[in-house]
Amino acid sequence: MINESISVIKVRDVLMVAMPGDPDDATVAALQEKTLLAMEQHEVRGLILDLSKVDTLDSYFARTVTETAAMVTLMGGDTIIAGMRPAVAITATQLGLDLGVTRTALSVDVALEMACFQPGQVGP
Amino acid sequence: MVAQAGGEVAILIESDIVSARRAVRESASAIGFGLTDVTRIVTAASELARNVFKYGGSGVMRWKFLRDGIELAFVDEGPGIADIEMALTQGFTTGGGLGMGLPGAKRLMDEMVIESSPGLGTTVIVRKWKKV
Amino acid sequence: MRDAPPNGSARLTGRDDTLEMLQLLVVNMADYAITMLDTEGHVLTWTPAAERLKGYRTDEIIGKHYSIFFTDEDVAARKPVTELEASARDGRFEDEGWRVRKDGTRFWANEVNTALRAPDGTLRGFGRVTRDLTDRMRTEEQIRKQSQEILEMATVPVVQVWDGILLVPLIGMLDSERTQQLMERLLVRLTETGSRVALLDITGVPAIDSLTAQHLVETIKAVRFVGSEVVLTGVRPSIAQTLVHLGIDLAGVVTRSSLTAGLRVALDRLSLTVVASARGAQADHQ
Repeated sequence: MINESISVIKVRDVLMVAMPGDPDDATVAALQEKTLLAMEQHEVRGLILDLSKVDTLDSYFARTVTETAAMVTLMGGDTIIAGMRPAVAITATQLGLDLGVTRTALSVDVALEMACFQPGQVGP
Repeated sequence: MVAQAGGEVAILIESDIVSARRAVRESASAIGFGLTDVTRIVTAASELARNVFKYGGSGVMRWKFLRDGIELAFVDEGPGIADIEMALTQGFTTGGGLGMGLPGAKRLMDEMVIESSPGLGTTVIVRKWKKV
Repeated sequence: MRDAPPNGSARLTGRDDTLEMLQLLVVNMADYAITMLDTEGHVLTWTPAAERLKGYRTDEIIGKHYSIFFTDEDVAARKPVTELEASARDGRFEDEGWRVRKDGTRFWANEVNTALRAPDGTLRGFGRVTRDLTDRMRTEEQIRKQSQEILEMATVPVVQVWDGILLVPLIGMLDSERTQQLMERLLVRLTETGSRVALLDITGVPAIDSLTAQHLVETIKAVRFVGSEVVLTGVRPSIAQTLVHLGIDLAGVVTRSSLTAGLRVALDRLSLTVVASARGAQADHQ
C-alpha cells in the first residue's frame, strides 16, 4: 500500500502540512520526517498542521503529532493544529489524548493569523 | 443495499490497520450509528488492530451486527497478556507498552471482554450499542 | 371478485379466466414477493419478485423449508415453526424482522403469513407476502435522528451572541448523556460559525458533583481541540467552593462569576472593544 502523500508547503516563514483523511502509519510517520527535513532546509518559525480532513485520530497519530510539535519547539519553532473536526475532538478527549501546550486553531486561515504574531505581540 | 451482517479483516501487515478502520467505518455507519459514535468505534478498532499487529504479530479482526449495535473481535496468537488487570488500568503513556490501546478502547466502547494468557494469544471483544 | 371497474374494461368472468388472472397477478407483482408454502413450511411456489428479493432461483428453492430465509438466531429460537403454528391457529401472522438472502446479506422485511383453508376448513398450506422495508427503516431512522436533533436543540441551547462568540446557558444537571449532546452541538456550532469563544454559563446549574465537573472538563478540552476556548461564567460561591474541595483543575480555563464579566473577557479575546456612541449622549436631550 502506497503512502497517501503529505504536502508540505512553505508560506512565508511558516510550514503548512495538510494530513489526508485516513492516513496509514507510514504516512503518519512521514509527517514527522518531512517536517524535520523542511525545518532543516528552510528558515521556518513554525508548523501549521491542517487536520481538517482527518476523520480518525488514534493514539499513534496523536503521539506522532505531539512528538513532532516537541521537536519543532526544540528547533525554536511553534506548532499550531488547525481544523480538527468535532467528532474527532470529542473522541480524542474520551480517549484521553493530550496535545500538550500545542496551540489550536479553527482553521488554517485562523492559524496563519495567529502565526503572524510574534510571541508576546498583541493585536494585528 | 444493506451491507453484510458480518465480516473479517486479516491483520498481517501495517496497512491492514487502515483496512480494519475502513471496514468498521462502513459497517458502523451502515447500521445507523451517528458520526461521533462511528468515530469512537473506528478509533477503538484502530487501537486494538494496532495491538494485534504490534504485539500479536498477526491476527484477525471480525465484526458483526448485534440487534442494536456492533461487535468487534480482535484475535491474535501472540505472546498474550500476562496481567490483564494492569493492562487495563495502565494510564495512557507515550512510552508504549503492551495493552496501551486497551484502556482507551474500553473508554470508547460500551463493553470489553478480554481473554488472554501468556503463550495462548489474545482475544479482545468490544461492543457498542446505539442509543435508543 | 369485485365487479368490473367503472371504466368499463373487461369483467372477469368464468372460473378459468379468474384463475389465470390471479396467477398473472401473483407472478407480476413487483412490490411484494408472494410465495406459497405447504402445511409443513416447504416452498411450493416462487415468483420473479421473490427471486429478486431473496436471491434464490425457482429451481433451487422449490421444496426447501422456508426457515432458510430466517437468521440463525431466529431459527434457534424456533421462529419459523411458531409462525406457522400461529398462522394456523389465528388465520394470519404478521412479523417484521431481519431476513437472509441466498448470498447471506440481510434485509429488513415485513411478512404476512396467511393460512390457506379449503371451503371445508382443511389447511392446505400458507400464503406468504413479503415486503422489503430496508428503505423505510432507513427513512424512519432518519426521522428519528431529526426529531432527536430538535429535542437536543431545546435541551442544549447554543446561542450566537456576537460574531465569534457563542453562549450556552446551561440549566439543570449535566448528566453523561446531556454532556454528549452538549459537546456535539457546541463543537459543531463553533466550527460552523467559526466562533473562537464559547461562554458556558452555569448560573442555572444547581450543584456540581465530581462527575459533572469531569464532564465540564471534558467539554473544555474538546472545545480547545477544535481551536476555540471556553469562558466559564456564572460560577457562584457555592460552586467555587465545591470545585476547590473536589480538587478539580479546570485546566486553565477562564472563569467569572457573572455572564457580563464573561462577555467582557470574550470580547477582549477577540480584540473587540465596546464604545459608547455620540448619538447615545444626544438622545438624552428631550
